[in-house]
Amino acid sequence: MDQTQEENMSPDKLRIMVLDDEPIVCKRLKPALEKLGYEVDTFTQSPEAMHQIQQTSYDIIITDLKMKEIDGMQFLTEAKKRHPGTEVIVITGFATMETAKQSFQKGVFDFIAKPFKLSEIQEVVNRAAAKIRGPAA
Amino acid sequence: MIFIIGIFVYLSFNNVLSKLRSIEIIDDVNIALLEMRKAEKNYFLYRDANALKELAKLGEERYEIIQVSKSYVVPILNKSGRKNYDRLLDILKEYLSLANNAIKTKEVPRDFEAKLRTMGQDLTSVSELLLKQERENVSRTINNNVLMLITSLGVILVIQLILWQYFFSLIIQELTVMERMIKMVSEGRFHEVAVKPILPHNEIEIAIKAISDMARKLEKREDDILQAGKLASLGVLISGVAHELGNPLNNISLMAQTYLSVYDMLGDEEKKNFMGDIYNQTERIRKIVENLLDFSRQKKQELQECDLKEIVRVSLSLVANHLKLAKVKQHVAIPENLPPVQVDASQIEQVLVNLFINAIQAMPEGGDLDVNGSYDPQSANLILEIRDTGIGIQKDYLPNIFDPFFTTKSTKGTGLGLSVSYGIIRQHHGDISVESEEGQGTRFIIKLPAMKK
Ligand SMILES: Nc1ncnc2c1ncn2[C@@H]1O[C@H](COP(=O)(O)OP(=O)(O)OP(=O)(O)O)[C@@H](O)[C@H]1O
Ligand SMILES: [Mg+2]
Repeated sequence: MDQTQEENMSPDKLRIMVLDDEPIVCKRLKPALEKLGYEVDTFTQSPEAMHQIQQTSYDIIITDLKMKEIDGMQFLTEAKKRHPGTEVIVITGFATMETAKQSFQKGVFDFIAKPFKLSEIQEVVNRAAAKIRGPAA
Repeated sequence: MIFIIGIFVYLSFNNVLSKLRSIEIIDDVNIALLEMRKAEKNYFLYRDANALKELAKLGEERYEIIQVSKSYVVPILNKSGRKNYDRLLDILKEYLSLANNAIKTKEVPRDFEAKLRTMGQDLTSVSELLLKQERENVSRTINNNVLMLITSLGVILVIQLILWQYFFSLIIQELTVMERMIKMVSEGRFHEVAVKPILPHNEIEIAIKAISDMARKLEKREDDILQAGKLASLGVLISGVAHELGNPLNNISLMAQTYLSVYDMLGDEEKKNFMGDIYNQTERIRKIVENLLDFSRQKKQELQECDLKEIVRVSLSLVANHLKLAKVKQHVAIPENLPPVQVDASQIEQVLVNLFINAIQAMPEGGDLDVNGSYDPQSANLILEIRDTGIGIQKDYLPNIFDPFFTTKSTKGTGLGLSVSYGIIRQHHGDISVESEEGQGTRFIIKLPAMKK
């Protein structure tokens, strides 16, 4: 909680992108993460998100694995290529968890299975933030 | 037939043989009479009692011979032959009594010689006539037999030809039936391959039976494969289901978590919204589960004679509201006198509703929905065409649209509608196919076998 307070104080907030084609996920994650002092952009359309990462960089990307147009893996690869410093958190259905873990040995900060707890995702995001800030601190 | 002719030939041959035998006898009689007439000539030469006695003795012998042969010859002779034979005996008897009388009385009447000579001449001429007649008879019989043989051979030939022709055409018919059956099998219309052979109990019947059996086995196999395919895709299905269910579950979970944590700060309207959202997500789950059950269940079909036009009417009435809201105009063209189909009406309605809803969803700005029915006598199929003027289907999606869970509607579709529909139509031994042009519209074609009368 201390850490949260610190980050809230911090003038340069960490930027988070949430990408999931379920609108409710976006709608619920946004306030839950903003409450922790992050700047949050949400996308339900992967092409739009893809377009967005060409323009700006995010510190943390939270993405669903199975999406209509561009799937999570493709998106993740592209994001990592553009900004290797970006930490990616993958949300996936519990059934695909094992396969997901196998195919992303590198590059993924952590996996979260649906259905997840908001506190769970908050915790993982904080850990990622700590890793990003780690060397500086 | 051949047997009858054989018997006939045998009998007439026998007949000819016995006739020849009678000719032989008559010939003998003839010769014997000529011998007797030599004695008669002797008597005329010497005119003595001894010569007369000699003549009477020879005559007596001849009479014996002719009398004895009678029982043998008479059954073979015809009527005039028999009369002549009897006349021969009568004349000879008179001839002898004339001679014997002369011997007894030792007195020769005045006209004795002339009488004897006339009678002797009569005897020879009758017996020669008899011989001649019999000869003619025999040659006539032989001629008749030959003619008869030739005619009956001709008749046999003609009958044979007609029979051949008949069997040939039957065999060709059977082969045509077989060809049709094989075609049905190759087209996968197994259930139709129950044909009765035209000629029972022959090799072709066996072949036709074998094809029927094969078709039945193949049909069973296809069902098994379909079921196995369902099982095989069960793995895919389960992970699909998990994912499909995972999303609404996750949504409900998120809504509930948020609701609990911010409950105190929510106004009534917001609380209602939360619950509404949660309810929508449970509806989504319900729809997935429902479709899934339709997909996996091997429901017992309830086949009934149905009118396709009526099924279309009912299905359209089920989506009437959707059509109105989406500003889609329906155009139905189905002829009155289509043959009936043997289907589970509620299942076919389910298929049509799926297709109509898909069409409506493809026309968000409104458009036209055409439903055309027709009958193809060649394949004996009823053909239903459902056409929309919607967004169409991307070419590389076309092979996948009948797959379970294939959808381009993200959270709004389960992707089960078409796969369920495909299963239903196949169970009805029909076929469903699609043609589409992106931006122009989509056409689904359903073929269902017409009911056999
Ligand atoms: N008439 C149509 N026009 C355009 N696309 C269509 C049409 N019918 C089907 N499709 C395409 O095929 C896909 C699969 O259709 P299907 O009915 O199986 O699932 P769905 O409609 O997406 O989901 P559900 O039927 O559960 O609502 C659709 O998502 C859509 O992309
Ligand atoms: Mg559908």
